[in-house]
Amino acid sequence: MRVHAGAILALLALFTLGTAVLAASLYHVQVDDVADARKRFRNQATRRISIPGLRGRILDRNGGVLADSRPSHDIAIRLECFQRSGGWSNTVAAADTEIDRLAAVLGLQRTVARERIARHLRDSSALPLTVWRDIDDATLARFSERAADFPGFIGTLRAERIYPHGTFAAHVLGYTGRGRPDTDMGDTVVHYYEELEVKGRSGVEGYYDSFLSGAPGEKIIRVDARGFRQDDGKVERESARGLDLRLTIDPAIQRTLEGVLAGVSGAGVVLDPRDGAVLALASTPVFNPDEWRQRYREYLDDPARPLFNRAVSGLYPPGSIFKPITAMAGILRAKVDDSFDWTPEDKFDCPGVFVLGDMRLHCWDRYGHGPLPLRTAISRSCNAYFCNLGQMLGTNSLFGTAQAFGLGARTGIGLNGEAAGAIYGTPWYAGHTCQTSIGQGMLQVTPLQMAVVCAAFANGGRIFTPYLHLREEAGQPEPVRRIGRPEDFAVVREGMRDVVETGTGRRIRTREGENRVKYNIKVPCAGKTGTAERGHGRKDTWIIAFAPFDEPTIAMAIVVENGESGGKTTAPLAHMVLASIFGEEEVSR
Amino acid sequence: MIRYLLRFNWALLACAVVLVALGVVFVGSAGAARSVAALQNAWRSHAVTAVAGIAIMFAMAAVDYRKVMGWVAAPCFAISLVLLVVVLLAGAKIYGGRRWLWFFQPSEVAKLAVILFMAQVFGRHGDRLCGFKGFLVALAILVPPSLLILAEPDLGTALVLVPTALAMLLAARIWTKGLVAMILAGLLAAGALLGTVKAAEAQVDPDARARIYSYLPLKPHQLARIRTFVNPDADPYGSGWNLRQAKISIGSGSLAGKGIGKGEAKFLGYLPPSVSMNDFIFAVLAEETGFAGSATVLLLFLGMFAAGTFTAIRCADDRGRLLVVGVLTLLFSHTYINVAMSIGLMPITGLPLPFISAGKTFLIVMFAALGMVQSVAVHGRAE
Repeated sequence: MRVHAGAILALLALFTLGTAVLAASLYHVQVDDVADARKRFRNQATRRISIPGLRGRILDRNGGVLADSRPSHDIAIRLECFQRSGGWSNTVAAADTEIDRLAAVLGLQRTVARERIARHLRDSSALPLTVWRDIDDATLARFSERAADFPGFIGTLRAERIYPHGTFAAHVLGYTGRGRPDTDMGDTVVHYYEELEVKGRSGVEGYYDSFLSGAPGEKIIRVDARGFRQDDGKVERESARGLDLRLTIDPAIQRTLEGVLAGVSGAGVVLDPRDGAVLALASTPVFNPDEWRQRYREYLDDPARPLFNRAVSGLYPPGSIFKPITAMAGILRAKVDDSFDWTPEDKFDCPGVFVLGDMRLHCWDRYGHGPLPLRTAISRSCNAYFCNLGQMLGTNSLFGTAQAFGLGARTGIGLNGEAAGAIYGTPWYAGHTCQTSIGQGMLQVTPLQMAVVCAAFANGGRIFTPYLHLREEAGQPEPVRRIGRPEDFAVVREGMRDVVETGTGRRIRTREGENRVKYNIKVPCAGKTGTAERGHGRKDTWIIAFAPFDEPTIAMAIVVENGESGGKTTAPLAHMVLASIFGEEEVSR
Repeated sequence: MIRYLLRFNWALLACAVVLVALGVVFVGSAGAARSVAALQNAWRSHAVTAVAGIAIMFAMAAVDYRKVMGWVAAPCFAISLVLLVVVLLAGAKIYGGRRWLWFFQPSEVAKLAVILFMAQVFGRHGDRLCGFKGFLVALAILVPPSLLILAEPDLGTALVLVPTALAMLLAARIWTKGLVAMILAGLLAAGALLGTVKAAEAQVDPDARARIYSYLPLKPHQLARIRTFVNPDADPYGSGWNLRQAKISIGSGSLAGKGIGKGEAKFLGYLPPSVSMNDFIFAVLAEETGFAGSATVLLLFLGMFAAGTFTAIRCADDRGRLLVVGVLTLLFSHTYINVAMSIGLMPITGLPLPFISAGKTFLIVMFAALGMVQSVAVHGRAE
């Protein structure tokens, strides 16, 4: 025989060898490398979708709702329902035609172009594409009736941010936009999202964004080889609702403050001097966070800059409201420096002008105040007195004290875009120190900083970080700094009471009504006015004020741009605020 | 009749029946992912065809090959050549090839005809054709059907004829030294081709790569398959897609698999639906039954090889032995190439997995091939 049994057996051996090679390779592929294959499969066949948590509300001190979320009814299209054979463009065309058909039925304008559908198909075909946002109830009802005729369209719910009180506390709240969700969940996996998420852009919406937005959830959907959704997915992690942010804002005071600032450019801050809580914070002109998305162009182009928060970002020369700081610099210096030969009782003569080299600085009283001690100098806001004192102190003392009061540094209130202001410690020219001692020259402060300064005079030298987030469980906040002892402030505080009783700031305490009837704030108060020259004839007019005098619960700073003077323009505004809090009484004649 | 039943190779049939049962299950599983009713029900026609095939096998086993081969082999070969010509002229054009004549593929039938004819020629006249002359005769038998099949084009089917014919010639000791030398030369040439492609793939400059490829005598889709084999990640979303997805699918099966009918790769369309029922059905099976299932399939095929070898050795004449050698080698070539390409051990070649892949002609042909082996088992033994 030609065909030997050996040859046949050899062939069988070869087949066995071949089969063994296959088995070994299969073992390697299926058992050794199974994790790799499963990972590769998961990567291509699943999409992780981030589910936003419902954004927390923003409340005022009393629990009133300042910012909330409302449901927005949207209509979305599921592109996998319009799969057509052939190129992608067939699917796009099919979806496009159906959108047109539904638009005709619902009487809506198209909001997504064909290119948008094509892009969605390319980038995220697993997800529904929203074709109409925020449809009204009638349209929603019509859509629900006809939904059976339009398979592939679904109604979806999305949270929309609303501000029920419009412009109220706008600069505290800030505004929101929409952005990609935070998908950094501690891993490197790509996350998809169905909708852009509400994102805080400014104000507490911006600063407390992560607090408000909660923790996003995650769901995993399977997709087929063309990237289309295969099932509704399983929720891997539920999203957690954002926390409610309760603010220190007192709605009554806030409303009054906004009322008195209406119609001017300016800002005001009201603090609780006992702990730094912000009771009211306003900046004018104002914007409406509810309409921000429709009107942001207009807001951005407005020369009056309504989006700009003057209370924390506006920089102004303080003018005479800086004088109490100069006074404290002297008092504190005298305590520790024996060679500094000055007491508050020492008098400087005011001839109506202060001459230093070739600089002549006029006092606002051209005829001069005559010789006067510190307390009177404060109540009359005498430039000559404080220039003399400033010259004695020198720049280092002056600036050291200003820094101790928090000038030149951000307060840390918890709002983005807060300005630090500026104090310049190096004299640039003769009279620099003198100018600074009366709040002019190289000094820039924010209304918020001056409110903190005012609170320090109210509470006897404690500097608090102003705060907006009310946390009762956090307990009484500690001051960041103490300046001197409370009794060191006595003289200056008396001077500031004289300001409102007999001095430049009488209109803080007293309002003249009809028939020359006068009304006083019911509780004793104190304050200081300021009128800062800004050049080009422009004046920024200030007041700081606190009340009740003995145990203050209110401290405030208000600035009005382009005013006449602190005493005339701004003091009446402070009166209105204090009156709304403490009430006023008719002065018996 | 009793002799028929006693000598019948039941082990061979048993392995084939289990394999074809697996085929019914996994054709059904692959079809479940399809939306066309005919494809969803393909498992039924697979089962029906298998029954018909088994009937044909029993019938052929009853025929004594020694009595009929002499006058059947040459006409069969001639008819299959005619059919191959007819299919080129009148065949339906599907997926860019003319392979179908009415309801069957002549190239599948040609495989059997070649085995039958070669067994007849070299079993009968081997002593006169033992030298180079025998090789020339073999070439004369092989080249016409191969060229016709290549023209369809169906490279895979043409390729399996080569090891089948080689095994038969070597078993019959036809021009052994020359053949061994040619096999070595062929292996070297294949190695050189792969080496060239590998070197070209390493070229950063695409122009240099294109220049190297322009020297190779390959069609674009053939080159793409070899490139995918050498460098599977070169074009994962194009020519590399099928292999990549088959490997992911097989690999994610692990030891026990995801469960029959629960293969995700085919449901989600990653394993392309156009091939999951045919050339890549092993990927479906391996994903759903894991290494346990794929090893079982390999063992069943090994069982068929062993059972067939038993028949061949007990056969008392050359023609019978050559028939069995041819059929077994054809079976092995199909199995090896199909599984190896699914896991990237070989370049992708469109060859079905015997008994399991959907495909009526091929299934009938495989049972007919077993029928020839059974005929040898029943009638070929020395008395």
